Amino acid sequence: MLQIFLLQVILLLSLTFGMEPITFAGEPQEQLRQTTDKVLAILSDPALKSHNKLKERRELILKVVDERFDWEEMARRSLARHWAQRSPEEKQEFTILFKELLERVYMDKVEGYSWNKIAYEGEHIDGDYAAVKVKVFTARDQTIQVEYRTRKKGHQWVVYDFIIEGVGLVNNYRTQFNEIILKSSYQELVKRLKTKSTQN
Amino acid sequence: MKKYNIELAVGLFVLAGMLCLGYLSIKLGKMEVVGGKGYEIYAIFSNSGGVKQGSNIVIAGVEVGRVKNIALENYQARIILSLSSKVKIQEDAIASIKTKGLVGEKYIEITPGGSDKFISPGGRIRETQSSVDLEELISKLVFEKI
Repeated sequence: MLQIFLLQVILLLSLTFGMEPITFAGEPQEQLRQTTDKVLAILSDPALKSHNKLKERRELILKVVDERFDWEEMARRSLARHWAQRSPEEKQEFTILFKELLERVYMDKVEGYSWNKIAYEGEHIDGDYAAVKVKVFTARDQTIQVEYRTRKKGHQWVVYDFIIEGVGLVNNYRTQFNEIILKSSYQELVKRLKTKSTQN
Repeated sequence: MKKYNIELAVGLFVLAGMLCLGYLSIKLGKMEVVGGKGYEIYAIFSNSGGVKQGSNIVIAGVEVGRVKNIALENYQARIILSLSSKVKIQEDAIASIKTKGLVGEKYIEITPGGSDKFISPGGRIRETQSSVDLEELISKLVFEKI
């Protein structure tokens, strides 16, 4: 009898104290939706539409995106095997350059947005990782499939990779960076990224 | 006595022939006799895109294993990869389904990651990319122009 009672106490204790921070189903998707909605709100804000507000608008968008995107993880995964050989300063520098690269490539697309609708097609959670599928309907009646790969960082689900129409961002840059580094050197890669960033 | 010898010779000859046939079918069919060396990991793809049992698995163009099994799990393709024991796959490696040339056979390419954790036998490659439907992409491009 006493044993059963003890067991019950232990079970109860382990239930109350051993609990992980609770993950609600739908959390990764919900957090992504919030970020997207914020960006869309900035884009459709009439006060920010004029040409001289362009810079201000970009900064606002970047601030929102920064919260959701794990740039360092993206840079680490893209550099793959070559990341470990870099010094902390180099890693930091590379993360900034990588972020600037993505900014240049994707900001125009985000700003010139003519999306009609965004449909959230569900998520797949696997421990601390989750994939969220999104379908973007453009004004031209086309659909674009986007899959976000996120991982849990504290209470936030942060994006470390995304796949557009089956083409993955990290995989794409991983192959490119690897080729450049093997053909020439890491310094050459940084040089190329820097010249690209000054061109804008 | 002589007849017996001839019969024995024919019997041995047939037996040798059958052994050769067996060896050939295993070699050509790329089957493995009891296990084979190496280990298995699995990956979940949203679309297996025509990869078959026995399809190649490559890293940097070098064959490192073969597809052992493909099954449907939760309306997704669960593919078991049989890899050479010499090859270690990092936890953040990406497995993607590719096509040799435009219409060639399908294979799985693994782009090695930078993590210091490796996937243990029976583990899973989390990062996967299904095959890109070129036809669909081209049609999108075409219609965008109009």
